[in-house]
Order: sequence, then structure tokens, then C-alpha cells
Amino acid sequence: MTLRSVFARFGLIIIIVMFFSFFSYVSPVFLTFDNQVNIIEASAIVLILALGMTLVVAMGGIDLSIGIAFDFGAAFAVVALKDFGAAWYVACLIGVMGGALVGLLNAILIVGLKISPFMATLGTFFVGSSVERVFTNGGGPISYRRMPQEYRDLAVGDVFGIPTEVIIAAAVCLVYFVVLERSIFGKRIHAIGLQKDAANVAGIPVRRYMFVAFILASATCAIGGLIGSANIRMFTPLAGFSYLLDAIAAVFIGAAIHPKGRPNVIGTLVGVLFLGMIGNGLNLMGLDFNLKAALSGIILVSALALAVAQQRFR
Amino acid sequence: MTQPMSQRLLGVFPIIVFACLFAYLGVQSTTFLSLDTLELITKQAVPTVIVSLGLATVVIAGGDDVVAGGIDLSIPATAIICAAIIADQLTNQGASLPFAMILAFGAAAIIGAINAFLVVGLRMTPLLATLSMSVAIVGITKVITSSRRIGVTDETIVFIRDGTIFGIAASVVMTTVLVLVFYHALHRTRWGMNMQATGGSRDAAEISGILTRRFVVQSFLIAAFAGWIASVFVLARGSGSSPGTEENMLLEMVLATFLGAAFSPRRVVTLWGAVLGAVVVSALSVGFISIGVNVFWTGCIKGALILLVVASASVTTKGRS
Amino acid sequence: MTDTLLKMCDITKSFPGVLALDAVDLEVERGEIHGLVGENGAGKSTIIKVLAGVYKADGGSVDIDGETLADVTPRSVHDAGVRFIHQELHLVQHFTVTESVFMGQEEQTLLGLSARAMRAKAEAFFETALGTQLSGKTLIRDLGIAERKLVQIARALIDAKAKLVVFDEPTAPLTSGETDKLFAAIRKLKEQGIAMIYVSHYLAEITDICDRVTVLRNGQNAGRFDDVFDNSAPAMISAMVGREIDELFPTTEHSAAAPRLEIQSLCADAFNDVSLTVHRHEIVGIAGLVGSGREDLIDTIYGLKAPSSGTLKIDGIAQRFRAPSEAVAAGIALVPRDRRHDGLVLDMSVSDNVNLAALDSVSRWTLENRRASHAVATEMSETLDIRPRNIAATARLLSGGNQQKVVLGRWLNKGADIFILDEPTVGVDVGAKVEIYQHIENLAKDGVSVLVSSSDPGELIGLCDRILVMLRGKIVAEVSTTDLGVDTLVALTTGGAVQEVAV
Repeated sequence: MTLRSVFARFGLIIIIVMFFSFFSYVSPVFLTFDNQVNIIEASAIVLILALGMTLVVAMGGIDLSIGIAFDFGAAFAVVALKDFGAAWYVACLIGVMGGALVGLLNAILIVGLKISPFMATLGTFFVGSSVERVFTNGGGPISYRRMPQEYRDLAVGDVFGIPTEVIIAAAVCLVYFVVLERSIFGKRIHAIGLQKDAANVAGIPVRRYMFVAFILASATCAIGGLIGSANIRMFTPLAGFSYLLDAIAAVFIGAAIHPKGRPNVIGTLVGVLFLGMIGNGLNLMGLDFNLKAALSGIILVSALALAVAQQRFR
Repeated sequence: MTQPMSQRLLGVFPIIVFACLFAYLGVQSTTFLSLDTLELITKQAVPTVIVSLGLATVVIAGGDDVVAGGIDLSIPATAIICAAIIADQLTNQGASLPFAMILAFGAAAIIGAINAFLVVGLRMTPLLATLSMSVAIVGITKVITSSRRIGVTDETIVFIRDGTIFGIAASVVMTTVLVLVFYHALHRTRWGMNMQATGGSRDAAEISGILTRRFVVQSFLIAAFAGWIASVFVLARGSGSSPGTEENMLLEMVLATFLGAAFSPRRVVTLWGAVLGAVVVSALSVGFISIGVNVFWTGCIKGALILLVVASASVTTKGRS
Repeated sequence: MTDTLLKMCDITKSFPGVLALDAVDLEVERGEIHGLVGENGAGKSTIIKVLAGVYKADGGSVDIDGETLADVTPRSVHDAGVRFIHQELHLVQHFTVTESVFMGQEEQTLLGLSARAMRAKAEAFFETALGTQLSGKTLIRDLGIAERKLVQIARALIDAKAKLVVFDEPTAPLTSGETDKLFAAIRKLKEQGIAMIYVSHYLAEITDICDRVTVLRNGQNAGRFDDVFDNSAPAMISAMVGREIDELFPTTEHSAAAPRLEIQSLCADAFNDVSLTVHRHEIVGIAGLVGSGREDLIDTIYGLKAPSSGTLKIDGIAQRFRAPSEAVAAGIALVPRDRRHDGLVLDMSVSDNVNLAALDSVSRWTLENRRASHAVATEMSETLDIRPRNIAATARLLSGGNQQKVVLGRWLNKGADIFILDEPTVGVDVGAKVEIYQHIENLAKDGVSVLVSSSDPGELIGLCDRILVMLRGKIVAEVSTTDLGVDTLVALTTGGAVQEVAV
């Protein structure tokens, strides 16, 4: 095995291990059990959004509107609870449907009007953010202090000591793993993402699958929105945007560590945990908030560049 | 080969929509169709026009396929970081304007070079490369400014904000000159034609002996340069550097550049189109305010406009091939 | 007066395992139009690429204007005055005619581009050199294909230094009216003393405009015609073909049964009023050159493109496919011509590719049953002798023949009633060819209807019961393969037949 092939296969993994060792070395707290749980808990929402993104990217698209789906999930659920007194599970269902609405718009634009996924979801992003601003009269949060405990528990509860949000994220992750990596639906999605024309000739109804996948991805992101709103007991407009780049980065990092360079669920999980570890480690180093923003941005670019370079070396 | 009537109509559909919008604004607001409003519109459009020049250059050299072609989302962030550097140097470090400008230029050059390396060297998708670069740049800007506003009182900057040249706002005159320089370089020189050919069809350009990779690299450097120039006007408009202004500029830049394609007779991204697009976007914002539309709706309208333009373009090209 | 402009002597070129050119000579005189013909794989494009400096010859010499080129590179050939008109247009859709003509060779002064001068020059060139009127301001995308071809020619010749122009299949995408336009321009160039090499499959065109013709076969010179007459085509064909059909093909008579696929007056952009019927147990061939509309016809039947009018019936029931998935549901399978782009998902494994069309049958509760899918793939791999016998291998890494077997295996697995095979053996080695033919034969025996579209006349004659010949978007002949000679079929497809056979 040459140095080159080692890099091509394990480059990013080595970097991840190096960061892990580095943080363990500089911070005595980093390796503690509680802190590791912190990392996982902090990564739960990002993971859910990154999984939605994984589905879209595996199909050869991109979704810049996952933040909007996140927000819509939160808004629909909070409004259902607050103004309509809905039961917590009904609110969850309504929230997910609110997110699916965003996906429906994307699907119509991309599959129906044949706009490229980038432009279409960018447009959805702008329209969606504006709708949120209008709905909240300029971006003020809608808070609901007295939300049902069951709903609140989505974020702060625990089952046998494991935080609920981690359980939800793990469940979504498992479902995605089964759907994308083990089911025939996933096989077809991957075929579309690899070679759309070949998938079409092989008799896969490409347009129908793309339609469903965009809706599914947005609905998934809305689950993240439910947890987010439960955590702070309010809907904050445009809160979802901050997850976008982490989600994209996690997917591409995940693709880089896949033997064939494909977006995949396990890889995305690793990518999300890597980003979570960086954020956590930089925090523990006691860095200034601004410096932390700069460093994590630089690490992000470098990790992505490395991920791409790694695939080129194959 | 003539196209069917319905398709030609679809092609000009965005233009009709805009014409109707402006006619409506003119009728609704007594002040909208006046010289003062025109000056306000052009002054407001200045930074967007300049960053759009940069984006148009990248799209012209890279092709207008948004994912596989050329795009640079880091230009607004470049403008913001250059503004932060200049403001920091002038106000906090007591440096002279030329020195501050040179320092900012260095930063922009590095950004352009990294973008070019990521896209041409590593063959990263421009979208992913420049989007992540944008995040990193915004992060570094936070370190420079500590996420605070830095006011600037430098005479030159104040002149650019308030001064006039031959009775016309200084910023507008300067931008006009810049637009003409860009136009000449890209549309009226051999170099510019070769850059257009590179974006038009990479294969055709290479078979004609054009070194396409070089032109793509240059386009990213020019984009960073546009960001650097824009920073001065960003400083002037805000009387200093303020955090968090890049997002709105990003939206307006993308909208203006791709909107411009709908105005160009060839339905492709051009410099004139980008400039016109930026002015139209600014005019819409000013117009909506003048008739008292809820300001929060403007984002929705802009988003819908992007979709309208792109959808009509995709429908017409589909019909053509 | 004999005045040799280009003299290529004893050109030899081999690729790993193939001798592509074996001591080939090619001589072109000043001011003549020299035809270069031969079957696919005869070495035409190889010798053109040697002349272009794209391939480096293993042996032989290239003389231009009496001077031997020491080093044949794209640069030195260009400097010697040789220009190439490639089959692909390489134009930018949104450029004007002037911009396209001067692409990469723009003229400018200190003040910028000399736009007006260039436009005048381009328009004058079209007028005087090509004998046509074309506005320099028109956009390429508003031009017809023939005019685009003229723009491409103008780009190569505008510097007025060209002595020899090589045309590679210039008329393939043109209709007959457009061809006349191009020929007028070519004759005009000849009047100006420019020599041309004209590579084409259309023998009618070759006999029409060429002064002399060189024929290649299997990488060797197979004859040169110093005088070309309208009735020279048959002699050229026998020089080109020169072989008997080998024993590649299984010989079985099929008893035609009930019609299964019926197409009535189907029309689309690339073809007109096409009607055909394929019965059970029958193998029907479609012959035609590139650009004859054959490819679009296949795509339209399979739902990849929409017809403008006409009907398609399967077992007597009218169908309208909006997507291939609907065609597949109706029992049609397509083995596409572009195997690497449309046939296989190259980065998926052999197993995944074999199962791709019939995933439902190897799943339980929508989850892939890997044991079942692997069993199917292993069985197919055995039946079709796919090598390597590793179903986890990535499809990209297989040889052409084995890749084709994977595509075939997918549809055998799916079990379709109508098989459409488009260029089934392009890039397939002889061994795999024989096997693929046998499988096609077996399909017909089992009652499947087979439609084969191919540019290899020998293949069609050996395999099919009947052959429909397409020329410029129309079916011009229907022939039975009994006692059909390759030369007759070639004559029909190339328009070289003295009399067109009515349908």
C-alpha cells in the first residue's frame, strides 16, 4: 500500500482521529463520559437535517431549503399547540406535514418545472424566509411557555437516562439506514443519483422517485424543527438556516469516507459527529466566540477540500 | 428556424411582469417616477452592482449551469471582510486609507486564489467551495471586528457617500466607470471573448486553442477583486462596517445576475444584464416601500421572481432543444 | 496535371492487441476532393487522427507540399495548412456567427475588438468562399444544422491559409436539402484550389462530389478509384466489404406468428411516417446510417422521446409511453446503444445492475433480500458467462462484451416480451458477440419479439428475419434476409442503390 492509496482511503479518518487526540490532550474534560454525551446530544438536530440532505444528495440533487423545512416544522407544531390546543402527537404530525409542504414546493419546481435543484431550493429558501417574517411580523419568536410536557420532553426528556432527542435522532438514523442502504427504494435512489439516464432506461420512474424524495427529506427536517422548538419552548423564525452548511458538510465528509465516494448514512453520522466534536473541542479550549467561528469555518473548508481531494486520488 | 409564438411569449414573460410591476408602482406612487427616486435607486444599487459584476464574470467563464458551471457565493463575504479590514485599520489602528486598502486587497487576492485552487485545482464544485469559503470568511471577519460595528469617518469614504461629481452622486459615477471598464474587458476584447467562449462551451473553446483553465482561475480572481472594490462602497453606505450584512447582499447578487439573463437578448448572463438586474431589484425595493408594502414581503417577491425567471428560462430552452 | 499536395506513405499504427493501420498510403492532389471510405473499424478515423497529430504513427511518413513533416503535431499540421471539420460542431449556442467564426482568433486593436471589421470579413467570406448569404449577427442557435456546419467551416478557413480540408462525416445530421447547400459550398471551395479529404458512409455523396476515392478495409488499402462515376458505388462496396459473412450466426428459421408490436405512421422530428410490425418469434432488423432517424425511432418506441403523431400497439392495444418505466411495464426491454451512459449504472456492482429492473422480485417488505438478488445475479452470470465471475465487481471495470451481457442479463431476469437491441455488439469482442447472438436467437425461439437496430450490415443479415432500411428519416425498403448480400444492404443504406426498393 502506497502512501497515496492510504491517503485516498483513510485521509479524513486520520484527520478525525488526530483532532480527537488533540482535543483529548489539550482539554482534560474532553474525554469524559459526560462530555461525549454532550457532543452526541448537541449533534442530534444536525444529524436529522443532514440525513434529509443525504437522501437528496444521494439522488444527485441539493436542498438549500432544509432550514425552512425545519422552521415550518417548528412553526406549524407550536401554532397547533398554542392556538388550537392540539394534543402533542397531533402537533407533531402537523409539524411534519408543514415541513412536507416545503418539500412539495421543491418537488413541483424541480420535477414539474425542471428548475435545477440549486435554484429551486434557493428560491424556496427566499420565499419561505419571507413568509416566516410576514407571519411573525418581522421575525419575532412565537413562544409558548405552557406547552404540554410530552412535547417538551421531545427535547429535554429522557428514557432510561438517554436523552429523548438522541433516541429520536438514532431512530431517524436507523430508518434512513434501512431505507437508503438496505431497501429497494434506496437502491433506486442511488441509481438515479449515479446515472439518471441509465436508471430511466432501466425502467425506474425517475420523476416519481425524485418527487417523493424531496418531500421525504423536508418532512425529516421538520422533525428536527419539532425538537428545536420543544427545547426552547418557542418558534424562532429563520433558526433553521444555521444548520444548512453543517448538514451539507457532514454529507460530503461522509461521502469522502465511503469506499466508493457515495453519500451514505453511516458517513453522514460520522461527519456530523466530527463537526460536533470540533465545536465542542473549540469550546473547551476556552476560545473567544469570534475566534471559534473563524476556526470552525477554516476547518470546514479544509475538511471539505480534503474530502474532495481524497476522492480525486482514487 | 423560428420558434412558435407561445415560446417567444414565454421568453419575454419575465420582462412583461417587470414592466407591469413598474407601471403599477408609477401609478400608485406619485414620487416613484422622479429624478430623486432614480438617484436613490441607483445609489442603493451600487454595492450590489459591483458584486454582481464579479459573479457575472465567474458565470460567464464557468457556464450558467448553477451546479456544474461557474458560481461564486463568497463575493459578498469578501466585500464584508475587506470592509472590516479597512474599517479596523482606519479607526482602530490609525492606518492611512491607501495602506488599509492594500491590506484588504491582499486578503481579497488570497480568497480569490483559494477559490480558484479549490475549483480548478481540486475540481471541487464551485457551489460547495465558495459556499464554505463564505462561511470561513464570515468567521474570520468576526475575529477582526469582534462582531461589533466599526464606524469610519475617513474623508474619502464620506465623499463617496455624500459627494457629487458633476452634480451626480460620486458613488454612482465611480460605479459607472467601473461597469464600463468591466464591459470593455469582457465584451470588447479578445481576452473577454475567449472568457465567454470558455463558459459557452468548454470543448469548443479548447478546440479553438483557448486555455480554459486559465480563464476560470482568472474569473475567480476578478470576482474577489470585485468584492474588494465593493467593500469601499459598503463602508460608505453604512458609514463603517457592520456584522451580518452579507446574507442580504448574497441574495441580491444572485437575483440580479440571473435576473439579468432574462433581460439579455441572448438569454445568457451578461454584464449589462447583471447591472440592469441589480438596478431593477433596487427599484423594486424602493418602489414597494414608496407604496407602503410590508417590507417583509419583499423577500418573498424576490424569491418568487428568481423562480419565475429561472422557470421561464428552463421552459424555453427545453422547447428549443 | 498531377500535383501532389498530401502524401501519406506506409502509415502503420497499432494499439494494444490491434493493428489499426497496416502500411496505408493516402495521396491527395491539389484542388481535388478525395473520398475516403470503408466500413466501421476499417481505419478511416485512425488515419485522419494520425494526420491531425492526435495519434503518433508507428511508422511511415507524411509529406505536405513536397516537404516531409519531421514531427506530426496538431501545431505543425495546422501551420502546414491542413484544417479539420470534425463531426461535432463545437459551437457556442448563444454566440453570433461572427463571434463563432473568430473564436480563439479574434482581431483587435488597442481600442478593443474590431467587431465591425470581423463581421464584414465573416460575411464576405460566406459570400465569396462558400457562396452563401449569412448575417454575422445571427445567433448560432437560430441557425439550421447545415448553416452551423458552414460556420464551422468558416472558422477553420477564415485565415485563408488552408490548403487541405478534412471533412469527417459532414452530412450525417443533415437532411437532403441541407446536404445540397453544403455541397454547393464544398464545390465553391474546390474552385478556389483547396484540396479536400471527404470521409463519409454515404456512397451516393461520394460518387457525387469526389474526384478520386481511397477505400480502406481492415486497416489496409483496399483499392483506389481514380475515376469516379455515378455507377461506381457497387465496385466500392465490394472493395469495402470484401469478405463473406463468417459463421458467427446461428441459423434458425422462425415461423412468424401473431403480431405483437405494431407501429403505424409514427412521426417525430427525426423521422417521418414510419410503420412496422414485429411478430412473436421474429427478429426484425433496422438498418440505416448515423442520422437516418434509426436512433430516434428506437428512443420513441421506448418512451424516451415523444412522437408527434402515429400509433403504437402492443398485442393490438394502443399504448402511449410518457416514460421508459411505462414501456417496461408494458413488456418492452431496451438494450441501449450507449451502454456506458444509458445501459449500466457504471459504479454499481454487476449484481445491482442485473437486478435493477426487477428489484421487486428480490425483496421482502421492500427490503432487498440480498441472498435472493445474489442468487439471481450468480445465475445470470453463469448463464451468460459474465467474466469475471464476481457479481460484486463494479460494472465499470468489465470489458465491453461483459458489460453488454450484464445489460442483457438484466432484461432476461426481468422477462420482457419485446426486446429492442440498439447496436448490440458495438465494442464487443468476437467471442462475446457469438454468445450474444445465440441468446438473441434463443429469445426469439421462446416467443419473444426482437427488434435489432444496427449499423453493421453483416450482423443484421446474419441475425434477422427481415430488415427495414431507413434513409434520412424514412423507411425506404423492407427486405427479407434470405439470399440478401451485404453489398445489397450497404447499397440500400448508403443511398447507393440504383433503384430504391418501395415498401
